Amino acid sequence: MEEILKVENLRKTFKLSRKQQKLERTNTNVKTAVDNLSFTAYRGEIFGLLGPNGAGKTTTLRMLATLIKPDSGNAYIEGASIVSDESKVRGKIGFLTSELKLEEFFTPNYLFDFFSELYGVEKSVRENRKRELFGKFGIDKFAEVKLGNLSTGMKQKVSLVISIVHDPDFIIFDEPTNGLDVLTAKVVTDFLAELRSAGKTIILSTHIFSLVERLCDRVGVIIDGRLVALDTVQNLTAEKNLEEKFFDLYKETVGEEV
Amino acid sequence: MKNVWTIVKKEFSRFFKDKRMIISVLLPGLLIYIIYSLMGTITSSVMGTDNEDASYTACVVNMPESLSEGFERLELVEGLSEDEAKKKIADGELDLYIVFPENFLEDITAGKNDPYPNVKVYYDSSAQSSVKAFTYVNTVFEILQGIKFTVNLPVEGENIRFDLADEKNTAGKMLSMFMPMLMFALLVSGCVAVAPEAIAGEKERGTMATMLITPIKRWELALGKILSLSVFALLSGISSFLGVLLSLPKLMAGLSGGDMAAFYSAGDYFMIFGLIISAVLVIISAFSVMSAFAKSVKEAGALITPLMILIIVLGVVSMVLPSVSVGLYAIPLLGCELAMSAIFTFSITPLAFVLAIVSNFVLAVALVVALSFMFRNEKIMFNK
Repeated sequence: MEEILKVENLRKTFKLSRKQQKLERTNTNVKTAVDNLSFTAYRGEIFGLLGPNGAGKTTTLRMLATLIKPDSGNAYIEGASIVSDESKVRGKIGFLTSELKLEEFFTPNYLFDFFSELYGVEKSVRENRKRELFGKFGIDKFAEVKLGNLSTGMKQKVSLVISIVHDPDFIIFDEPTNGLDVLTAKVVTDFLAELRSAGKTIILSTHIFSLVERLCDRVGVIIDGRLVALDTVQNLTAEKNLEEKFFDLYKETVGEEV
Repeated sequence: MKNVWTIVKKEFSRFFKDKRMIISVLLPGLLIYIIYSLMGTITSSVMGTDNEDASYTACVVNMPESLSEGFERLELVEGLSEDEAKKKIADGELDLYIVFPENFLEDITAGKNDPYPNVKVYYDSSAQSSVKAFTYVNTVFEILQGIKFTVNLPVEGENIRFDLADEKNTAGKMLSMFMPMLMFALLVSGCVAVAPEAIAGEKERGTMATMLITPIKRWELALGKILSLSVFALLSGISSFLGVLLSLPKLMAGLSGGDMAAFYSAGDYFMIFGLIISAVLVIISAFSVMSAFAKSVKEAGALITPLMILIIVLGVVSMVLPSVSVGLYAIPLLGCELAMSAIFTFSITPLAFVLAIVSNFVLAVALVVALSFMFRNEKIMFNK
């Protein structure tokens, strides 16, 4: 199996306010959001990052997407370092997260062209991709409607398409089905499976267990910034279902019942 | 009522617990204090030296011996004919030409009052030192108020122009007084309208981050933003400028006879346009840097206000600076305003123009570089 992502001892801390320090009864003024995280993802798999809110999933993904820099550690995407070779990394990955917004003034058609140019996609390639992706998600029906006038589901579809204008081999999806109705969510998850069959590698961050069970090949469980389990979904769910397994892991790590 | 208090408490903690908010609200006052104090110091030092030490050149005819002591600050120039003297004044080589009536003292002693003895003082209202000399002489005449005589009283049937400034110089002086400041004020308002929205607005809405994860270089993003914003600001500036230019003849009706616009050559307009472009680049870049610091459009507005005041004050400073050393042209924006003034008064030198425009471009480039570094900084770009 070919390694496409290698994460080595990734660490990220944030400053704590004085009041928060008191609350947490600590004298250190930093909070460790991601603590020595290491894992590897292989080509053609969907790797799930599972964890409760605030576990450090999004921080990890933001580091991988070069939006923020790790305090220490490194990660390599097809050999390119997220610390020293940011520009190369940016060209290799697609990143879908609710934090990245699209200008509501523009239409899906315009935005697709704009981001294609930023990613250096050739015009003929761009037009073919646009036709294909817009058709698949039904965006062709509202391609010239300003984003501000679209529904949440439509916007999410546009964001998804924009995040992969450059046909990246490595795609990060942060809670891609959040806030979507079951129909739209199904379109999105079906597409993830389709991307995998096309040989893409996907990092899927979520707190929805069923999604992991249904889609992921392997899964890393993050609690309090640390990786507490890393295995295939099959192995993790050998004895009990993922949800129960997660509660066990949580109890072991945090030391209290859920 | 209880709810009102709850809202007040919430607003207070929103405000007083946010250091940036407090700073951005209080900073303008502090800056105004510093800038105005500075300006006052400059102005008073300028005025001060002027009143006490400066002397003026004058050609005086028929001055009674007893009065010469009162005019100790006049350096008398001898042996000029009336025409020579007037020409020298118009050329800026001489400040005043004063003609006392023959038998001035005798007429006064005799109480001549129909008409009173009239002193003629020729000056050039477009030359700063001539105007000051004229003011000085008038002050001296006022001290002599016990004596009955008149100064520059127009005589019926005689059409004498005491102000030797030609139309061109008068118009130039007038324009140089307010045009640079006005243009800067217009440009600044154009820049304020676009920079916060395009930088802080994109940050606030989360659309900046979407661009930051693409392989685009940070300096490309910074330069692209600044160039396009400069065009908007320039358009807004040009539109206001045209408004001023077209209304000028009406505004100035009666103040100046000639067609002012025609006094200036294509080269002059070209230089002014170049200066405007360079100034817009500086102002937009500076506002963009401030907007990049801000978390929201609102905060950007607050952060930009002191800068705005500073720029407009530079305009005032450029107006009150009496004699300008060439080094001042190398100060971005200030040099630009001085150069514009100099163009309007037909006294621009190539060196001054080049210094003014180059200093602006250098600062603009530095600010673009600063902005690209800010785009690279997660603490600035993703600080919530």
